[in-house]
Amino acid sequence: MSIDTTQQPATEGDPAEQPAAAPATKRLNTAKAMVEAIAREMERDEDVFVLGEDVGAYGGIFSSTTGLLDRFGPERVMDTPISETGFIGAAIGAATEGMRPIVELMFVDFFGVCMDQIYNHMAKIHFESGGNVKVPMVLMTAVGGGYSDGAQHSQCLWGTFAHLPGMKVVVPSNPADAAGLMTAAIRDDNPVVFMFHKGIQGLPWMAKNKRSIGPVPTGDHVVEIGKAATARPGSDVTVVTLSLSVHHALDVAEELAADGTADVEVIDLRSIVPLDTEAIIESVTRTGHLVIVDEDYQSFGLSGEIAARIAEHDPTILKAPISRVAVPDVPIPYARPLEYTALPTPARIKEAIIGQVAPA
Amino acid sequence: MTDVVFPVISQSDPDAEGTLATWFAEDGAVVAEGDLLAEVAVDKVDMEVVAPVAGTITLIEDEGAVLRAGALIATID
Repeated sequence: MSIDTTQQPATEGDPAEQPAAAPATKRLNTAKAMVEAIAREMERDEDVFVLGEDVGAYGGIFSSTTGLLDRFGPERVMDTPISETGFIGAAIGAATEGMRPIVELMFVDFFGVCMDQIYNHMAKIHFESGGNVKVPMVLMTAVGGGYSDGAQHSQCLWGTFAHLPGMKVVVPSNPADAAGLMTAAIRDDNPVVFMFHKGIQGLPWMAKNKRSIGPVPTGDHVVEIGKAATARPGSDVTVVTLSLSVHHALDVAEELAADGTADVEVIDLRSIVPLDTEAIIESVTRTGHLVIVDEDYQSFGLSGEIAARIAEHDPTILKAPISRVAVPDVPIPYARPLEYTALPTPARIKEAIIGQVAPA
Repeated sequence: MTDVVFPVISQSDPDAEGTLATWFAEDGAVVAEGDLLAEVAVDKVDMEVVAPVAGTITLIEDEGAVLRAGALIATID
């Protein structure tokens, strides 16, 4: 089946997603949007190929590569043995030779066995070669919890990757951004870590989430890496967040707007390397109140980095101390009630926002 | 008018119940032949339902409905 659907009429979608003279779109979930973006780039550039565990016949355990094997064959969609060091290393080698691999690390939690390839080679070859050798590859990986998969299959860990220089890190929250960031990542000459939350894929067997299905442009669609988006404009409190937490923050913002508690602005970071510091500061300068919602561990991570950048810029833009809603520094519990105590749930986000606008 | 029905997912158990997991098409939308309309799930197997013909779609069943193969889920005029 051709992916060229530009003949198709635009479907009705969220008006906020569609500027005037919007391009044709179709409604997809995030998983299908990722697949379409990969397929489009594979058709456009024969150097683009996919490899990883269960990316072929199975289609990716979170459906990030469904159908690609049938469309492009086993030479361009390769199932690999269970050796992350081996197949990520193979992708790095292919990238240095001019190909554009997309390699899937099934769960980000598995990075421990292959981190030497990732941070000592993928991230450093460009520097160590004085810029002479490029590593144009995408390391795609599933992140996040909320479905009782235990401490070794539920982490986000984007702060860990962002901390180590040499990799761009993108974390979409919705189908259109997933497609646009994937396209940008594939075309980028640098290694890009593409981290997708299982809870935004729109998979029937995961928790349903209305924001994981949305209009996706059917033509060429690129989301610039390093640019945050205002997911919801507001004037009282800025919520800076990313990934699945954007959905929760928007749900809470709508609830608090409806009952008149607060007009909440939600900033969807979309990328954390580079981090759109300007967008954060611009928003907090207007609202004076900041809640950072981060499904990664609280200490030594993204939330602390954002706080530091504001402090370096001008701490007086804050009218109150910042609030952090993150995972406390414990492994993600397996037991559902404990897991939801650790995760940045809508209830915790709501409490933090109310704490900003109506201090006790 | 063309019927859109819940597909057969399991040939060994054609009477298996499944769930209408996701409507990608919206009620009243104009669809082209081959457009993705819906996704259905039986056990852990998902299957896409695409438009058999072009036209305006009327949704009959809601997301979450538990159905058997052959059940009418939408019509296209």
